[in-house]
Amino acid sequence: MLAVQPSSIKRAAENRRPARTALPNWRREQRRAFTFGLLPALLVLVAITLGPTIYLIVTSLTPLDPVHPHSAADFSDPIGNYRALMADRRFLNSLEVQLKLSAATVVLQLAAGLGVALLLNAGSRFLEAVRTAFILPMVLPPIVVAVVWKVIFTPDVSPMHRALTAIGLPVHSLIANPDTALGAIAVADTWEWFPFTMLMVLASLQMIPAEPIDAARIDGAGRLALFRYILFPYIRPTLVVAGLFRLIDSIKAFPLIYVLTNGGPGTATEVTNYYAFVESFNFSYWGYGSAIATLMVAGVLLLSWLIGRLGVEAERDD
Amino acid sequence: MISERAVVHGAAVLLLATVLFPALWMLQLSFRAGGDIFDLSLTFTPTFDNYRALWTGLFPGSFSNSIVVSLAATALSLLLGVPAAYALSRCRFRARRSIALWILATRMAPPVAFTIPFFLAYRFLGLIDSLPGLVVIYLTFNLALVVWMMRNFFDGVPRALEEAAWIDGCGVWSGFRLIALPLAAPGLGATGVLCFILSWNDFFYALILTRTRAMTAPVAIVNFMQYEGWEWGKIAAGGTLVMLPVVVFSIVVRRYLVRGLTAGGVKE
Amino acid sequence: MTLLERRLRRRQLLRAGAAAAGALLLPGRAPAQGGAKPLSGTTLNIACWSSPYAKLLTDYVPQFEEATGAKVNYETPSFPIYNQRIDVELSTGGSSYDVLNVTFIYIGRWIGAGWFVPLDPYLKDPQKTPADWEPGDFLPGATAAFKDPSGRLYAIPWTADIYMAGAARYDLFEKSGKTMPDTFDGVADAMKAVHMKDGIPAFLPENHYGWSFIPWLQGFGGNVFRDPPEDLTPVLDTPEAIAAADFFAKLLRDYGPDGVISYTYDQVVATLKAGRANYSPNGQIFLVQMGAKDSKVAGTCNFSMCPAGPKGRFPGVATHGWGIPAGSKNKDAAWQFITWAMSKPIIRQMVVERGYSSITRRSLIDSPEFKGKLTINGHDIVKIYLDTIALGAQGYMKYRTIYVYPQVDKQIDIAIQNIASGQLSATAAMTQAQQDSLAELKRAGIKL
Repeated sequence: MLAVQPSSIKRAAENRRPARTALPNWRREQRRAFTFGLLPALLVLVAITLGPTIYLIVTSLTPLDPVHPHSAADFSDPIGNYRALMADRRFLNSLEVQLKLSAATVVLQLAAGLGVALLLNAGSRFLEAVRTAFILPMVLPPIVVAVVWKVIFTPDVSPMHRALTAIGLPVHSLIANPDTALGAIAVADTWEWFPFTMLMVLASLQMIPAEPIDAARIDGAGRLALFRYILFPYIRPTLVVAGLFRLIDSIKAFPLIYVLTNGGPGTATEVTNYYAFVESFNFSYWGYGSAIATLMVAGVLLLSWLIGRLGVEAERDD
Repeated sequence: MISERAVVHGAAVLLLATVLFPALWMLQLSFRAGGDIFDLSLTFTPTFDNYRALWTGLFPGSFSNSIVVSLAATALSLLLGVPAAYALSRCRFRARRSIALWILATRMAPPVAFTIPFFLAYRFLGLIDSLPGLVVIYLTFNLALVVWMMRNFFDGVPRALEEAAWIDGCGVWSGFRLIALPLAAPGLGATGVLCFILSWNDFFYALILTRTRAMTAPVAIVNFMQYEGWEWGKIAAGGTLVMLPVVVFSIVVRRYLVRGLTAGGVKE
Repeated sequence: MTLLERRLRRRQLLRAGAAAAGALLLPGRAPAQGGAKPLSGTTLNIACWSSPYAKLLTDYVPQFEEATGAKVNYETPSFPIYNQRIDVELSTGGSSYDVLNVTFIYIGRWIGAGWFVPLDPYLKDPQKTPADWEPGDFLPGATAAFKDPSGRLYAIPWTADIYMAGAARYDLFEKSGKTMPDTFDGVADAMKAVHMKDGIPAFLPENHYGWSFIPWLQGFGGNVFRDPPEDLTPVLDTPEAIAAADFFAKLLRDYGPDGVISYTYDQVVATLKAGRANYSPNGQIFLVQMGAKDSKVAGTCNFSMCPAGPKGRFPGVATHGWGIPAGSKNKDAAWQFITWAMSKPIIRQMVVERGYSSITRRSLIDSPEFKGKLTINGHDIVKIYLDTIALGAQGYMKYRTIYVYPQVDKQIDIAIQNIASGQLSATAAMTQAQQDSLAELKRAGIKL
């Protein structure tokens, strides 16, 4: 039910008074109203994000540990935790594992998402329905994804292992083998998240204007050339943004590791997030865990800033 | 003569079946009786025993916890976030870009960074193992999501309509209520559904911050998995039950969901 | 057991138990005339890890509720989950639980930090503990584990789980001309002989190596700490420790099933009962389940003491006990639960009705019912049990009482996994475990 009446516009024009919205008072009033709407959310966000982050950093400067009750205010060695981290072999290992996992998952997810998007781009109603079905892995609770893949990776009940054995290529448990454990997690993670990149690429593909494509087709361009010279340049910014989103999300990997490998075998799949969890909640080294978490937040902020800048570039390119 | 269209359709269906296969495999496992699990045959007599066994103990309670927490978290985030999104969309605040970036950053932070301070604070406030405690910490990702997505949707509603209303004496928030909100309703629906799904799916926060009273469904599965010592039929049944609401929800609102997911990701 | 059978049994137990419970209601708390039950309106929250005992107790809890009017929330998560959650809970001084299991590797940490209350006031009070409950009846070796240096007791042991060995398919041993091995070399020899006979892998311990590997470590002459509790320097990189790790991990690698390092205690039991693995050095409470009614190997299983290494026999003894957390708001009611759960009638019921075998009451161990129940497939478990307990009293289990043992426990897990999966040599893995353990001790504020 619109409040706009054509008559009021006519009236304003006839009276030749300045429109209400041109008055300076109105500007101020409006701004106040908007601030009013923004404020509650901002205040809550500050309380639940800035506050805890500051507390996190402060805690990381202490050796907080529940077995020693006075450790909460022990600032005698503020960067002690950070110094210990730099020399902590297990922490450095976790960074390496994290890098490997992130690289693998981002590349795989971009490739899979791109591939499926290209396939589904034809624009028929049937394909649109299929596209919706592809979203399933992404909306499943991550813990269910972990259970699904636990079944797939457990030789006793796994259809994959049985099929491989049946065709004469029996394979040992992938998650108990240090060489393949991380790869197995990467596969499960890709299965879970490729719909994200697929959707982004599809949306981007559908925004490509028809003329250059038609022109190229008339000129006789084959499918590959079409992709390389027309489609790809258009979707490249989207691919980059999608890649960065997935990179940041890959740092949060937890349920898969918790259920499939527990960071093992040894520490082959112990990513930094998992190591922070173990130190903080298995052994209650809250000071130390906070230091790890602080470093992670710093890394993520850097990447977010990067996304922001690239998003700006993308806007400017348009 | 097979048309290209048919080939593409066929390939799509084949790919879909391959992708969905793991989930379907778990589904069929849930209907197998205990002794049949290691059985190699593909045919079996289905049974509901696993589901029946699940429905004792902590599982039903955790289910209702999940529903309550997800609904409350969604409602709260929408209440706080939608007006903020509207304000960000319509008003040229100077700090607009930095606010947007900050919101993005909160979405991206690893959960462990929030869990430690929240855990320490909650034990002081007595909010450990409480539903309100979960709702509050879920705001950390829900609120940002709501503001982010609804701002994009409001950007898609032309200002001109509200401006005309403002000329006519309509207040800012009346304009919001009468013009912008109805036009952005599909976006609102999509955002709400997304909030619900994200809250339902959370595992990490619930794992750390709940014990028995406020345990949610995802944590109950893991608890259950370990407790039942690898009884795959029951584990599969648990997984199926926990994913059911989300899958049903997604199918019901699929159109808005897809639009919501792409709008959230593509635009800056 | 199907759901229906379980319900019927529960009802039977309830009826039998209500009668027994009436008899064992604590003195000074006789049921009031008019029928008001002593703990009506009280809710007790109780948790223990999913050991066979704890799972068994679930069926008896309704008896307690019936007799006292209390409501009991009883949960049994898995071992690592239980320890992690309860550790976090205790460290915050929370009051979510009233009765908790004190896990053997956390004794030093939980009791040392004062997170449980001493039970001596309850034991000394005749109102709270009837004379015929006999606290002295519990195995001294088991209760000793729960005492602090000044002798105060913090938990009542419900098990002294001994580390021994079992074979699911002893018939395969016999076919290869082998008997139950008694030395480490004998084990290697036997494993080689029976591996993959009938398609069954030979060697399967559980993957909590901080428990299942230590007897091998000590059997080679190694140890975890140099001289606990005085000298807490870890000694994981001594030549003996490396030799032990190498030997044990080789057994895993060469004779274990696919993915052997991922087998938890529950998985091991399920696998043994299904006859899909053979020899398992493991805790008694798990191995005796091979004799259960639904076990496929009840007729082919055999048992022996923990094998001896070149430097002796060091079978582990894991004592777990019920304690009352400091934050509990229902300590008196909690004590009532503990006295009920550990009372002679209840434990006797468990032994007689359900064949439970790992008990800590001397009077019941000596009883004919126990001896009868603990013969599985013609093999006498009682002798193994008693001999092992006697050995355990010698003091080599002190490493468990150190409050930083959980961290070192994890390092040992990682090291064995690394060696068994071929990522690191024994030397490299144990050296790494040593370095990381030193770092962990430092982080925990221990000066070496």
